[in-house]
Amino acid sequence: MRVLMFGWEFPPFQAGGLATATVGLVKGLLRNRTDVTLVVPFPAEDSPLPQLKLVSADGPSQDQLVVHRIASPMTAYGGATEYQEVFSTIRGKARGSSAVYGADLFQEVERYAGLGGEIASREAHDVIDTHDWITFAAGIAARKVSGKPLVAHIHATEFDRAGAGANPEICHREWEGMTAADRIVANSHALKRICVERYQLPASKIDVVHWGIDGDGFESNQRRETPFAVQTSVRRARKVPIVLFLGRVTWQKGPDYFIEMAGRVAGYLPEAKFIVAGQGDMLPHLVRRSAELGIADRVHFTGGVQGRDVHRLYRMADVCVMPSVSEPFGLVALESLRNGTPCIIPRTAGVAEAITNAFKVDFWDVDAMTDQIVALLRYPELRAELSHNGEAELKGRRFSLEEPARLTTQSYARAMTSSAGSM
Amino acid sequence: MTEICIYAQVHQPFRLRQFRLFDIGTDGEYFDNENNRRLLRRVADKCYLPANRLLADLIRRSNGEFKVALSLSGALLDQLAEWAPDVLESFQDLVDTGGVELLGETYFHSLASLASEEEFVEQVERHRRTIERWFGQRPTVFRNTELIYWDALAPAISRLGFRGVMVEGADHVMGWRSPNHVYQAVTAPELRLLPRNYRLSDDVGFRFSNRDWDGWPLTAPKYADWLASSGGDSLHLFVDYETFGEHQWADTGIFDFLSHLPGECLKRGLKFVHPSRLASRPPVAPLSFERPTSWADLERDTSAWLGNRLQTAAQKRLYGLREAVLRSGDPQRLEQWRRLTTSDHLYYMCTKWFADGDVHKYFSPYESPYDAFIAFMNVAQDLEQSVAALTPAEAEEVDWVHLAGLACVA
Repeated sequence: MRVLMFGWEFPPFQAGGLATATVGLVKGLLRNRTDVTLVVPFPAEDSPLPQLKLVSADGPSQDQLVVHRIASPMTAYGGATEYQEVFSTIRGKARGSSAVYGADLFQEVERYAGLGGEIASREAHDVIDTHDWITFAAGIAARKVSGKPLVAHIHATEFDRAGAGANPEICHREWEGMTAADRIVANSHALKRICVERYQLPASKIDVVHWGIDGDGFESNQRRETPFAVQTSVRRARKVPIVLFLGRVTWQKGPDYFIEMAGRVAGYLPEAKFIVAGQGDMLPHLVRRSAELGIADRVHFTGGVQGRDVHRLYRMADVCVMPSVSEPFGLVALESLRNGTPCIIPRTAGVAEAITNAFKVDFWDVDAMTDQIVALLRYPELRAELSHNGEAELKGRRFSLEEPARLTTQSYARAMTSSAGSM
Repeated sequence: MTEICIYAQVHQPFRLRQFRLFDIGTDGEYFDNENNRRLLRRVADKCYLPANRLLADLIRRSNGEFKVALSLSGALLDQLAEWAPDVLESFQDLVDTGGVELLGETYFHSLASLASEEEFVEQVERHRRTIERWFGQRPTVFRNTELIYWDALAPAISRLGFRGVMVEGADHVMGWRSPNHVYQAVTAPELRLLPRNYRLSDDVGFRFSNRDWDGWPLTAPKYADWLASSGGDSLHLFVDYETFGEHQWADTGIFDFLSHLPGECLKRGLKFVHPSRLASRPPVAPLSFERPTSWADLERDTSAWLGNRLQTAAQKRLYGLREAVLRSGDPQRLEQWRRLTTSDHLYYMCTKWFADGDVHKYFSPYESPYDAFIAFMNVAQDLEQSVAALTPAEAEEVDWVHLAGLACVA
């Protein structure tokens, strides 16, 4: 079976979890011996995976890097507004003619869609897979040409990203893509509920596939890092406890709850340090608020972090906190646990359905988080138990890359059946 | 002729409330009495009251030929006295039939036997006094919390005046031997051991309503046939009393099963016997338990309560406080400390979720074992601070700690 997959982010071009999820799925499918042709909106000369056929929707010009950069910031308050800001910044830097690209995100999506049909006509495939609204139009165009069944992967809806500030145009495109698809794959039951309730999609058409994590990048007993050790004597250093927030610093991820919690934890454990790793529109607010709480010297803002540094951060931290207001899945929790770092996750996050060995809280319950964090930092037994059990759980088969890929292949098969039935 | 010895455990813990970090030092209540009262009422209505009535009726109808043993924890009796005196009376009425023997145990259903012999002895003696006062019966057969027993414990039990002990007939202990006999403790030759026949016990306790089990549906005649063909001198069938109506709901037919069981057994020539009677019989052989053995989980060890880092840290913290609590001389604090010794608090911290751990999950008031640990440790912290404040010699030091904490918050 060969899948024609329309992606948007793919390493090294990535802004968030969509790239990680896409590469995870592609790797899993390849390992399960399903062939994949991945279409990406940026130039791709070499495929990072030997068996993966990577097709660029554009020519090989370096200027086209801009397409990826433009597409990436799917941030809190309407992807489209943000797009224009970033677009104008990048257009200034880019060499060559960026005039061929659309002036807003929707035109960009349209342009990608327009190429979908052409690619479908020259690339052999049995099923078409798409990832979130930005690629749905391309998938629909491809199906028009090849007549192959269409699957819509949904990683997050506009309601998850923007809450009440949801962009109606984006919502419409999400609805359109999922309605057109023969089969929908949601990454959690929580997200499936949103699809059913907010988009009136039939529950029977949606499969739930929880994400896994690539065990390849991890060695056992990786050294934990201690950047803030306090030298108590010439020979002895005491490790300073570190609490980590990792993610986009936007409304959706609830970083403001993290800062409030930090203020409370600091009252009990004055030596604790707090790291906010990520970028986003709420940074100025967080800096201001941590000064108000009198903890400005204990909160460190690292900005965006990539690659190996992400894993180093997890291993520095004693606990990773994810106070997301909305979290359709929450790969950060899997990465944290896989690195042996206990984590606190929102009860409503998709990942909370899948994992057992983590604290589950209401994202607004700063009291509960404070209680849990102080206990974690005070009792090494609690840290050790959560770390050990969490890591062990994550090494299980259901969190491998092969398992979600296997379930996704089942969805492809269902899409083929239902597509055949409707013709 | 085979005799049947039935014993059921009756216990409810004082569950803790979600005691947060911010509650430390506020003189707050430790126990979730609202919830404890509600759960007690529920289990009383579903199990204790109907089961007591049925047992009393069966004993009377059989002219005393049907006999059972019960063990009522002190933690349960305290709750009954406070919130459900009607249920306490119902137990007294049942015991008054003369067909019920009461067993000795630690008052707080604790793991004191594994931590402090002094505390163990105090709790066992207090339990015995309470049973005598309320039921006019002096227990002579002992059952330790969750049937935990090992050779080194036997002398202490014997010194307390008991003649017999209920133990788990675990495979690793019994080997080729049958649990259907009376055995002898190797470290206290006068002490008799009654090993639980776990297969026959669990047929009722765990498997009764399991439709995937090839024994389903289990009827009284079928079960009596199994008992009659088991062989041995005596069958030791030990279950939780909550089996009747709570673990196995009434609609599974459990009460119907129980009501027909004595008649079916007697019909087959089986006789019922009290444990104290068996404890006066000569043993077939000595039986050695090299390490603490319990009736829990597949492991039949103490790992359900002391199997992970959280549990051992919590147990250590708790028993580390004992001296200070005693020294404070405050009876209320001591009572609170003793309620914390109840094994359930550690059971909620069990992380063996995935295999046989789901039974733990069912009984826990917490979202996770980790949350259970935090609540327990917060309470221990509060208790430590309050008894320190009561002890003159250390009062000053504690004030400093407290003030330092306040300064940080400010």
